[in-house]
Amino acid sequence: MTEVISPTTPEQLRDAIGWAVDAKKPLEVIGSGSKRAYGHAVAADHVLDLSKLTGVLFYEPEELVLSVRAGTSLAEIQAILREKNQQFHFETGNFPALLADDVAQNAGTIGGLIATNLSGPRRIKVGAARDHLLGFEAVSGRGEDFKSGGRVMKNVTGFDLSKLMSGSFGTLGVMHTITMKVMPCDEKARTVLIACNDPERAGMAMNRAMGSENEVSAAAWVAAEDVARFGIDVASAMGTGLVALRVEGPAPSVAWRCEALRKLLAEFGASEELHTTNSATFWKVVADVAPYGGSSGMLWRVSGPPASGGVLAAKLAARTGGKVMMDWAGAQIWLRLDGSDAMAGTVRQIAQSQNGQAVLVRAPADLRAEVPVFHPEDPALARINRKIRDNFDPVGILNPGRMHLNITEGGQV
Amino acid sequence: MLRMPEPNPNTLARRKDIIAAMREIVPATGGVIVDEDQLRPYECDGLMAYRQLPMIVVLPENTGQVAAILKYCHTNKIRVVPRGAGTGLSGGALPMADAITISMMKFNRVLEIDWDNRAAVVQPGVTNLGITRAVEHKGFYYAPDPSSQIACSIGGNIAENSGGVHSLKYGLTTNNVLGLEMVTIEGEILRIGGKGLDQSGYDLLGIITGSEGLLGIVTEVTVRILRKPETARALLLGFNSSEAGGNCVAKIIADGIIPGGLEMMDAPAIKATEDFVHAGYPLDVEALLLVELDGPKVEVDYLIEKVGAIARDCGAVYSRISESEEERLLFWSGRKNAFPAIGRISPDYMCMDGTIPRARLAEVLTGMQVLSQRHGLRVANVFHAGDGNLHPLIMFDANQPGELERAEEFGADILKLCVEVGGVLSGEHGIGVEKRDLMPEMFTEDDMKHQERLKLAFDEDELLNPGKVFPTLHGCGELKTLHAREVANKFPDIPRF
Repeated sequence: MTEVISPTTPEQLRDAIGWAVDAKKPLEVIGSGSKRAYGHAVAADHVLDLSKLTGVLFYEPEELVLSVRAGTSLAEIQAILREKNQQFHFETGNFPALLADDVAQNAGTIGGLIATNLSGPRRIKVGAARDHLLGFEAVSGRGEDFKSGGRVMKNVTGFDLSKLMSGSFGTLGVMHTITMKVMPCDEKARTVLIACNDPERAGMAMNRAMGSENEVSAAAWVAAEDVARFGIDVASAMGTGLVALRVEGPAPSVAWRCEALRKLLAEFGASEELHTTNSATFWKVVADVAPYGGSSGMLWRVSGPPASGGVLAAKLAARTGGKVMMDWAGAQIWLRLDGSDAMAGTVRQIAQSQNGQAVLVRAPADLRAEVPVFHPEDPALARINRKIRDNFDPVGILNPGRMHLNITEGGQV
Repeated sequence: MLRMPEPNPNTLARRKDIIAAMREIVPATGGVIVDEDQLRPYECDGLMAYRQLPMIVVLPENTGQVAAILKYCHTNKIRVVPRGAGTGLSGGALPMADAITISMMKFNRVLEIDWDNRAAVVQPGVTNLGITRAVEHKGFYYAPDPSSQIACSIGGNIAENSGGVHSLKYGLTTNNVLGLEMVTIEGEILRIGGKGLDQSGYDLLGIITGSEGLLGIVTEVTVRILRKPETARALLLGFNSSEAGGNCVAKIIADGIIPGGLEMMDAPAIKATEDFVHAGYPLDVEALLLVELDGPKVEVDYLIEKVGAIARDCGAVYSRISESEEERLLFWSGRKNAFPAIGRISPDYMCMDGTIPRARLAEVLTGMQVLSQRHGLRVANVFHAGDGNLHPLIMFDANQPGELERAEEFGADILKLCVEVGGVLSGEHGIGVEKRDLMPEMFTEDDMKHQERLKLAFDEDELLNPGKVFPTLHGCGELKTLHAREVANKFPDIPRF
């Protein structure tokens, strides 16, 4: 029987972890639990549930800064930001909807978002969640309070532990307070669509766009069969796969840059333009990877150098028979497989051949118990990572095994 | 007074053997420097108040040599101080009497420009501006631009997570690095990141950037390069008070405009720079804003209008828009020469580097005037206003007994004030030795111990750049000990289900 511990204050969080350290009881750390099926299963009799540790500590739109308790829901935060026409610039999609059916919009907590370092289409221009975390306060796996960073934009005061915590899946410490950089929404956004069925050619088109001075803020490729899922008439009417390039900024600039991009890429195929609402819809679908959402089938996220994206996508599709979609100008490829075989060896071998890596985002639990979800680390880096984890969580009580297969209770391999 | 770790007498006694070993690893002429007069140029970095002759200086030429040197140092427990171009302002490359200073300046080659992936692979001794020089013929540039960019090395930029005047819009070093090759103190060569955007495991790229040479020696750097904006124009805006200027900055950003550059100077800085470069700055204002907008011409023209209107609403008493590239550069020439301009009117100056929440600017400037009177020293301020990064320039005369100490106390008081209002000790220069002893102003003992535990994962014997960043290094034993505590009764107050 699993016991759920739900601290409502940072002090209670410290007590809970302190108890677990002393009692050597592993904890599965969750926010709302929306991404629990991402990564490996944690073997723990106790769940540390942060969803009651909530609240906005301060939000100063003119200072571009927001500080919240880690269990605060993304839905609440997004609503607050929208009121002031601001946003998280890294544009995370509704990732939990890739793991299950019927997931609400903006599912999850801010703590979970940072712990998994998610980011959406705008990453190619502005970075990932980790680039927008200004500071945090946490309790480490030693049961001790620690913090790093602050609330200001520029800061080199001590090691940048904000980076360490981002994407660490709660294995080093449990954050209770998170301070983020927020950004104003752009005045205008439009998207140029270019007809293109071939992923390799799409990769070339995206490269040319990214190398131009048009400040493209998102670049994706969608296969013809997936375009219908976007529900945008202009896009569907083109009847082909599509390269999509977004530009954002002041209205006159956006119009000018769309024009420039269409000229620059004229040789690649016919083009169309999506204006405000359609453009927003389009990128929401890309950010959510909606065509590949839900619980059925397996989903890989393959990432590598952007210029290799087209080749990588074509190879992955041909060798696995799966469906592919490209984001981040080719640096991120979503691969959906419908059989019961994750084809991990094939996928990882293709990824590595282009200096890339592959993460198994969605797969049945029994498969995730056998196949490493995250791309295997280089042995030298794995040793350093291991030492870091042992120093922050010496007893191995925080999400043991979440990031690595074969690490069981007590942190022993 | 600054206390550094005591020199290890065993190391000093073995100096001859160490030199011989280093010459074996780096046989090139001039690769190992041992004579006092040749060691002299290495005795300090950009923080010239502190000097110490290194035991020896080694200039390796390739990664294999760096690995061999570090392996030797690890085996023989010899301390190491990594050094780039030596332009750092916080004393991060201050030598130690018993340490080998490893200068990375022979790593000066651009290895690859990958246009398709918009990445440059360079050796760490390449200067910041050198990267832009290598890619500008195709219209690209490297965005972070610390004011020392003509001299500072990209390896040093990694160590200090350097910023510059464009960081509000384009980010700091950490947001622009894609990959690193680094050698650990054990001599192991790590390759982290690459030309893609993801890495497995913890974000080592993120923690090594800004780690001030305490975790390893970087031997190769991959950065992203950006297409240069089509055009850039600047506005000079004068205000009767720093409040009005600060208010204008807040309004610009609240309006959704993120300028490429957004700088502020106070009256003493305006006067000193105008006297020096004659940029045409108004001398009858209390605060001068320099706002640069970059992008397609149509965007820049549009935003210039908008910013001009915001400035009028905020009570700007002076407004000038650059009408040519020459004029834009002239506007910048004052700001970019602020440090030497202060150097002209004062025998010595000390450049501080704190960051504050922007809204607290007026309050901090007023507080600084009070401190200025208390310490009897003048101060001028240049300010990366967009991201709240202050550079107070404290003027003093090191030849007057006690003035250096007073300047240091003044500087420490300014930084304490920054922390008090919610800011931090360093925005872009790093902690080094300069602000090391102020770390407890911001961090508890446990905060610092957790940072040191990260250090421990890379350098258990604390051989890499000792005496920097942390006021006292706790021993490995203390950091690893898990303190028993009494959590009575399994936390009865916490809701459980």
